[in-house]
Amino acid sequence: MPLSMIAVIVLALGAIAFAAARSKARLFKPVGTERLHSRPNYHAAHMLLWVVVPALIFVAMWSFVAPRLINQSILTSPAASELPPPGIERDAVLNEIRDLATGKLEVSFNPAAEQLAPVYRDARDHYTILGGIAAALLAYAGGGYAWTRLRREFRARNRVERAVMVVLVAASLIAIFTTFGIVISLLFESLLFFQKVSPAEFFFSLEWSPQTAMRADQVGSSGAFGAVPLFWGTIFIGAIIAMIVAIPLGLMSAIYLTQYARPRFRAWMKPLLEMLAGVPTVVYGYFAALTVAPAIRDAATWAGIPGASSESALAAGVVMGVMIIPFVSSMADDSLAAVPQAMKDGSLALGATPSETIRRVLVPAALPGVVGGVLLAVSRAIGETMIVVMAAGMAANLTLNPFATVTTVTTQIVALLTGDQEFDSAKTLAAFALGLTLLIVTLILNIIALRVVKKYREAYE
Amino acid sequence: MSDRAPGIGGDLPVTSNPSRWNSDVMQRRVARRYASERRFRRIGLFAVALSAGFLAFLLLSMVINGARGFTQTEIKLTVNFPSIAAGVTPAALSAKGGDEALSGLDLEGLAASEATAAYGENGAALLSDGAWLTLRDAIKSDPTLITRKGEMWVPASVEIDAAAKGRGDTANTRLVAQLKTNGQIKTGLNKTFFTSSDSTDPTVVGIWGAFKGTLLTMLVTALLAFPVGTLAALYLEEYAPRNRWTDLIEVSINNLAAVPSIIFGLLGLAVFLNFFHMPRSAPIVGGLTLALMTMPVIVIASRNAIKAVPPSIRDGALAMGASPVQVVFHHVLPLAMPGILTGTIIGMARALGETAPLIMIGMRAFISSPPTSFTEPATVLPVQIFLWSDEVSSGFVEKTSAAIIVLLVFLMTMNATAIYLRNHFERRW
Amino acid sequence: MASHKMSARDVNVFYGEKQAIRNVSIDVDKENVTAFIGPSGCGKSTFLRTLNRMNDTVVGCRTEGRIELDGEDIYASEMDVVLLRARVGMVFQKPNPFPKSIYENIAYGPRIHGLAENKSAMDHVVETSLHRAGLWNEVKDRLQESGTALSGGQQQRLCIARAIAVDPEVILMDEPCSALDPIATAKIEELITELRGRFAIVIVTHNMQQAARVSQRTAFFHLGELVEYGATADIFTNPTQTRTQDYITGRYG
Ligand SMILES: Nc1ncnc2c1ncn2[C@@H]1O[C@H](COP(=O)(O)OP(=O)(O)OP(=O)(O)O)[C@@H](O)[C@H]1O
Ligand SMILES: [Mg+2]
Repeated sequence: MPLSMIAVIVLALGAIAFAAARSKARLFKPVGTERLHSRPNYHAAHMLLWVVVPALIFVAMWSFVAPRLINQSILTSPAASELPPPGIERDAVLNEIRDLATGKLEVSFNPAAEQLAPVYRDARDHYTILGGIAAALLAYAGGGYAWTRLRREFRARNRVERAVMVVLVAASLIAIFTTFGIVISLLFESLLFFQKVSPAEFFFSLEWSPQTAMRADQVGSSGAFGAVPLFWGTIFIGAIIAMIVAIPLGLMSAIYLTQYARPRFRAWMKPLLEMLAGVPTVVYGYFAALTVAPAIRDAATWAGIPGASSESALAAGVVMGVMIIPFVSSMADDSLAAVPQAMKDGSLALGATPSETIRRVLVPAALPGVVGGVLLAVSRAIGETMIVVMAAGMAANLTLNPFATVTTVTTQIVALLTGDQEFDSAKTLAAFALGLTLLIVTLILNIIALRVVKKYREAYE
Repeated sequence: MSDRAPGIGGDLPVTSNPSRWNSDVMQRRVARRYASERRFRRIGLFAVALSAGFLAFLLLSMVINGARGFTQTEIKLTVNFPSIAAGVTPAALSAKGGDEALSGLDLEGLAASEATAAYGENGAALLSDGAWLTLRDAIKSDPTLITRKGEMWVPASVEIDAAAKGRGDTANTRLVAQLKTNGQIKTGLNKTFFTSSDSTDPTVVGIWGAFKGTLLTMLVTALLAFPVGTLAALYLEEYAPRNRWTDLIEVSINNLAAVPSIIFGLLGLAVFLNFFHMPRSAPIVGGLTLALMTMPVIVIASRNAIKAVPPSIRDGALAMGASPVQVVFHHVLPLAMPGILTGTIIGMARALGETAPLIMIGMRAFISSPPTSFTEPATVLPVQIFLWSDEVSSGFVEKTSAAIIVLLVFLMTMNATAIYLRNHFERRW
Repeated sequence: MASHKMSARDVNVFYGEKQAIRNVSIDVDKENVTAFIGPSGCGKSTFLRTLNRMNDTVVGCRTEGRIELDGEDIYASEMDVVLLRARVGMVFQKPNPFPKSIYENIAYGPRIHGLAENKSAMDHVVETSLHRAGLWNEVKDRLQESGTALSGGQQQRLCIARAIAVDPEVILMDEPCSALDPIATAKIEELITELRGRFAIVIVTHNMQQAARVSQRTAFFHLGELVEYGATADIFTNPTQTRTQDYITGRYG
């Protein structure tokens, strides 16, 4: 990439300028008792910033502009008359031209591309050189300005530190940009979706079959976008089955490890259980699909339960519950630890056994923290993707039968966005509406959970 | 005391019998309570054991399935190259355009006919569909081979491979036993698994392509998330004034840490691919997406590490006339670095195992050659696992599990490093 | 001479390697209030907690010697801690009501020990206990409110009522007034005086006047040893040991 070459050259210029400025600044001598305000390195850094920053900003902008200029010159060249009209086909040819010119392709399908490749190469070299010269000039101008400021009394340190602050602030702002990026992109696509499908249908209708037909005249071409079965599937797997597994196991593990286990046992067991949260979800998904789901189906068939599927809600839910155990147990652990020892002593001193103390005093006292932890775990479970993609099915069923197939919001997002379709079909946009719903629900759950936990912590300050 | 009703204190019924603690009823009750105590305790131990058991079962089933994935059965084949390559010279193959000349040769047919010649009419079925690739690679590394007969070991078919590993049907098992006595079959370390990429044939697939994709993606993630996360944490901890903007940043970071990963995939799809038209399936986009996801984790961990640096160190440095920026970069940051690195590694480990957002940005493509740049289509290990898990051929089961083992080994190494860093460098004040 | 409710012989207590109590022998009277005094860290709380085996809950704590409750060795293997603690109740330095309603706080002990057959019996136990703790009139209209919503002094009386509800034979109090203001303290002291005779009471206090006001017998501890034990009047007016003398005249501690 020639543009990266320009960037390297700019950086090299910067290094030279840095060295030059530093050796000059070394010669500055303090006058009288007054100390030098800025050490040579600061003068040099000031110089470096002026040489590098404007030039690099230009290079970054140029990397956006140049391809467009290059395309422009291809299209205005005489040979371009044979190109197809603007559209997908023309873009394909343009891509081919580029690949030919860069040597990625050796032969082309399109004769026009063969002819235009040299045009592309010329234009590219032309604009690269142009950009390089402009960048060098900018670096030179910046350096020249900084050089004029390179004097003993110049407060280079303040300037450099201000630049550092700008970088720090920019880094912090990325979090805001990301948040806005998420919200705006989801909102935007969702609004497009809701122009095609009414929110009432999406949120309340019971039928989900987004397979919009390829041809408009095909039967059933409309597609149905009632997301209720998806919401139910998500809740069924993530908030019911998974929690039935995770809450008792997580809570009892935390109780055993904090209240009964010997320190050595605890020191080994706690990190071991936390490993459950560190296993990648794709591994859980594979485990669920390969081992758990067939076992559950066979067991159900053996027991004569009708409608047992090899992609059962139970398989996905159980495995997800296992994954969630450490979340519940570590939150429960924290909450139990936050209950003052005095509370425990008070109960024991009345003649309660440890388990009576735990069940009647510790757990009720720790309950808000545990509830907060469970809410966090639920929000985590409903946003979890891979386990359900691999182990839950695609069929949108409104069923209470844990051996049947259900589908979830995340499964459908993946299903809708993989495969070939135009980006603004209702099917694709539906994925964003689902994403927005998921985001809002998880955030609300989180906010409530954090409130509850915070209130609870304050109660025992 | 005035509010004590006279008389009430005297007739508390439970006080009437001082020996009630020794009564039979009480003894039985206590016995029952102790039994329930023991039961409760046992339930707790059972919960711990069950949770640990799940983990053990998961890992064990991966290891048992995956161990087979690291070995591959090969069949001895004597190949008479000149029979299909009359007139092709080694020089022509090593010259420019040699690859085309090579692809013009019917190596597939050759492998099949040699197998039929050596092992009877079903001989071709012994070989993997990708067996000819071994021939091709052999010629590539030594073009003179084309002029002579060569004896080589080529991968066996899925069925033969399974039989050689003791999991085949009776016919194949008998066949394998016979080949073994003739010294025509061997099962050894599957080097292909570490050097090749995806394929439709499970006997010749490898993780190298996905692994390289992972490396490139993680490199982008680390290069973006680490500096940005650290700098943002420094700003928030050390300089940020208490105002609405700072609050907004804090709220954003805390919420981002809780956003499901698939939402980041949607972000990547909508913003990087559809708005900025960045290349689909590329490590650069995957890395960017994962960086946005990892950054909040790093910020939160780094802030804790920075908070742990005692104020006395800042005061000391400020008192010596250092500027606030110097204090932070010369004193606070180095002291907080082990904690920051620990948080970064943990965040990276999470990103390393992440699948869903990368599927969203198209990193699920079938990639049969390792990516060579940040902008080429690529896939990563977890996605490769996902793709293989969808394959119908039974030969993929062991490969998938083997890839999972590789991924888990990586994650464990990273986490062990993080724990080591925490234990050995993190100072407590 | 008053009859002995509890008696300790040659008790040693260790926290790991560290010895906190050395060779303490003492008798606790049935009808009297016994005060433990001594400088901070001398082992008063530690010794108090050996009397109902609360030290069993402290990891690494080991007790030697013999402690009897009505002649039974409480560290014997046949002795049941659960029943022992029902018989020897305890009130702590900081009021520690459970985060439950006032009613449930009192009902907790009787419920786990099965002391009330039905709701009306339980109501009666709760009411009687609150009466005895002098709290009834203050809380009778808000029995369902949380125990933690009471004032500090009320909370401490709630804890005393909670201990009384199990109808123990001995009540151990570890600095029950140190977290309270003078008025609440006065109420607790008055209460201790009222309860005397019905329960054997042992109270740890840093407040010399308090010991003099509420107790009939006083034990002075120093560096894990029992320095002097006798009638409160004697200890305060006419101590036999110089260490006791120094302590009550405020020379250290
Ligand atoms: N859980 C424990 N582990 C180790 N040592 C302890 C523990 N509890 C108390 N100690 C030690 O035992 C000694 C006696 O402590 P104890 O609490 O009994 O003193 P105290 O007389 O009640 O003091 P204070 O008047 O301050 O309450 C002290 O030196 C203390 O450090
Ligand atoms: Mg004490």
